[in-house]
Formats: sequence, C-alpha cells, structure tokens
Amino acid sequence: MTHRPFALMLLLSTAMGILLSGCNVARLTINTPLTPESVAFIAEGRTSLADVVDTLGAPDSITDAEMGSIVTYRFLNAKYSRVNFGWLLKPWSPVDPDFVFSRSGLGTDAFELLCDTNWIVTHYAFVRHRPEPPFTPYPF
Amino acid sequence: MRLVGLLLAMMMLLLNACAFSRGTLGDELKTETINSIKKGVTTRAEVLAQLGAPDRVLQLNGRDLFQYYRYDAKVGSLLLIVVNFSRVSVKSDDLFVVINREGTVEEVIASKRTEGLEFRFWPFGD
Repeated sequence: MTHRPFALMLLLSTAMGILLSGCNVARLTINTPLTPESVAFIAEGRTSLADVVDTLGAPDSITDAEMGSIVTYRFLNAKYSRVNFGWLLKPWSPVDPDFVFSRSGLGTDAFELLCDTNWIVTHYAFVRHRPEPPFTPYPF
Repeated sequence: MRLVGLLLAMMMLLLNACAFSRGTLGDELKTETINSIKKGVTTRAEVLAQLGAPDRVLQLNGRDLFQYYRYDAKVGSLLLIVVNFSRVSVKSDDLFVVINREGTVEEVIASKRTEGLEFRFWPFGD
C-alpha cells in the first residue's frame, strides 16, 4: 500500500520525461503587441497623435501621405517549439539519434493611423490582425 | 535549516542552467536632450548639434522628418537538460522631429519603451 504513491510518482516522472524529452520552447516579442481593446480610446477626427503617443509610445515609422501622414506601430509575437523524440533512444543507441518535430508561428502585425496635417487621427486600422500562434510542435 | 538547504539546492539547480544575453543598436536617447527640443524655438542646426545626424530623414508634406532610434534586446534562457525555455524581448526608443520650411521644430514625438524592458525566461502568457 505504501508503495503506491512512489509507483505513481515514478510513473508520472517517466511520463513527464517522455513528454518533455529534448523539448525547446522559445518566444520572441518585439514591442508590446497591440489589441483592439488597447486602441479603443482612439476616436477618429478627435484624438490627436500626441494623445496616442502618450498612451502607446512613439510609433516605429511615420511616412508621407497625400492628405497628411501615416503613422505605423509594428509588433511581433513569434513562438517556437521543438521536441526531439530521439532522446528516448539515447541510452540504448551508439549514435545520437534525432527525430524532431518543430513548429514556428509568427504573429506579425502592424497598427496604422492616418493623421491629417494638424496631427489629428482621421482613420486607423490593424494591417492584419492574426490570432496568437500556439506552442504546438506538431507540424502536420 | 532543512528548508534553507532545499531552497539553496533548488537555486543551484535552476541558476546553474541560466543564460542572460543582451544586444543594443544605436545611441541612447537621453531624456534631458529630448526635453531640450522646443517646438517653434529649436532650429534644425541645434537639433543636429545635440543629437547628431538622424538615423533616417524623410519628407513629410514639404517638411523634414528626422528619426532617431535605439533598440534594446534582452534574452533569458533556462536550460534544464531535458527542457529548455527561452524568451527574447525587443523594444525601441524612438524620437521623431518634424522641421518646418523655416527650419524650426514643428513637432516632437518621442518615447522610451526600453525603460520597462526586463529579462524574461517564461515563454508562456503575456
């Protein structure tokens, strides 16, 4: 009876070891990802660029447009995960076997504002609002 | 005593496999230098004297736009034999100075996002 918790712990550790064998999880974040909620305070025709900068910080680029300027905020949320199942054979194999599943996901996005010549925001939109990439090494 | 020993063992186990890396690009944009640029007062020559040549120069409806930037990247890695976690965080400080046709500063847009940049290891969550 007293052996049951030990056996359970051993089983769990083995299962964890197998699941996590040669696991790599990495993430790259460039700037703070913006969401529709974080830019909801912007009112077209009323909010100035100074108000936007106070809340979101300075943009990454400002370019010329026919009726004013285009202000762009860029951000990236990339995820990478990798599992090397070859690790499971390491104790029994004379070579270093590799059997790798890995997957990367890029959540690149940009938020653009069109400002008039008085720096009032006239339009704004996300360039492409992608869903958060998952941490799943299964590539198929 | 046993708890202290356990904590020490845990710390040795975790910190033994830690890696910190950092990379920067560009010169630091000092807050006092940014604050010294006054709209309608500071001239193009004064901006160049204080900040040097800009990283980018753009034309904005007949006005000049000087862009200065600095990037900071911090990488934290936790290497635990069978599982490795790492996280790279990059942020930038940006300064835009709009100079009108008369050669004086019309607008200053700046922020220092790198001030809140921390070393992070855990790749999950925010």
